[in-house]
Amino acid sequence: MARCILTVDDSSTMRQMITFTLKGANFDVVEAEDGVHALEVAKGRKLDLIITDVNMPRMDGLTLVARLRALPEFKFTPILVLTTESDQSMKMRGKEAGATGWIVKPFSPEKLMDVVNKVI
Amino acid sequence: MTSWFQSTPKAEPVIEPGPSLPLPPPTAAVESNDVLQRLAAREASMLEAQVNFLTPELLQVDSLVREAAGTLEDALKTLNKGVNQQHLLAVEIQAAMHGSLQGEGGGESMGGTIMGTLDGFVSHIAEISQSTGLLVEQVDEIRERSERMEEMLGELTEIAGRTHLLSLNASIEAAHARQFGAGFAVVAGEVSKLADRSTALSSTIQEQIRGTRQALERTDAHMQSIASKDMDVAMRSKEQAQELVQSLQITNFIVRDLVGQLEENAGKVAQQVGHVVRSLQFEDLVHQTLVACLKELGNLLDQSQAWKALEGRLAAGEPQGPALADLEAKLVEIEGARVQFRAVKSGSLAAGEVDLF
Repeated sequence: MARCILTVDDSSTMRQMITFTLKGANFDVVEAEDGVHALEVAKGRKLDLIITDVNMPRMDGLTLVARLRALPEFKFTPILVLTTESDQSMKMRGKEAGATGWIVKPFSPEKLMDVVNKVI
Repeated sequence: MTSWFQSTPKAEPVIEPGPSLPLPPPTAAVESNDVLQRLAAREASMLEAQVNFLTPELLQVDSLVREAAGTLEDALKTLNKGVNQQHLLAVEIQAAMHGSLQGEGGGESMGGTIMGTLDGFVSHIAEISQSTGLLVEQVDEIRERSERMEEMLGELTEIAGRTHLLSLNASIEAAHARQFGAGFAVVAGEVSKLADRSTALSSTIQEQIRGTRQALERTDAHMQSIASKDMDVAMRSKEQAQELVQSLQITNFIVRDLVGQLEENAGKVAQQVGHVVRSLQFEDLVHQTLVACLKELGNLLDQSQAWKALEGRLAAGEPQGPALADLEAKLVEIEGARVQFRAVKSGSLAAGEVDLF
């Protein structure tokens, strides 16, 4: 059974590029448009990895990370932040929220798959 | 902030600090209420005009970028699907060629199988030919024996003839002896009859043997013809099969080479697809930048409204002092609302850095 990854981004282009890359490596992919939607999609689902943007409407990515970490079923699930933000202070906020890693956009498919295979 | 543009909202839009807002100090330089009123009206008008000009331009850029990205995404998916199908076809061709020419599991090539089968066939034909040759030799021997028997029968016929002649002479001598030779004449007559029967029998046997020999000669000719034809056919079949196998091996080599080239091309296309995936993210980066610009334009529009409010108050005859103080407070409020950093700092589409915590 293929492993399942949730990708969260308000940009449909980004979601499609991430999904395109992951499906090419035989992962199942589910998508969400923002943090609120991501919590709804994740509910009751077995996820092997979550990849989230930071700047999103309704609920930003760092809040989403903290909210997921508070849920027992996602306490140890790898969560990668994929964002245009590259400030060290933002990365530290992500780490404190419980993120597993930080990838600055744009991503290359090879690098993304390297990271995914390391953390999953 | 005023909700004045329709676009996908992004949280915390990003803006780099700009120059301080032009705030004319309420000093003696402003000579009259009318001058200040005109100045406020002009500032409000200019700001509004700039916002109204730039906003649709930026929205148009955003729309064009989205449309271009969508088209490129569709093209990318189609391209990727085609490459995947090409890859599957190449694998199928390779497997089919391998299965047909290399055999499944046993490692024995189809060419080897064909040649092995033909070798067995040719060996079998050669054995038959060899046996036929032996038969021809035996038939020859029988024919020779028949010829010798015919010679011997010839001698027997000659002996019978001489015996008949002797019996005739004996009969003549018996006639000369008259009554004393009567018994002898009977014997001579019987000998003559036996000689006649012997001659007749020899002729019959000779006839039969001749017939047998002729039949053997025809058989011999047939067998020689068969043996010769068998070998010719077998050798020709073997040569043709060898040519066929060589042709198949060359075809296999060419197809394998072509499939290899296909795979190499597919690898290059996959690499380019990776570049396209990375580059297509420009839509998100541009969108975030545009949203930041649009938010900054919103701030300019707020400034325009603040200046317009000042103009209205001055036109209504309010004193300058409180009106200017309120304007200053509003402008400070607007400046404070600006986000003091840029989210999109990268000026290129090179892949971003990765940090694992």
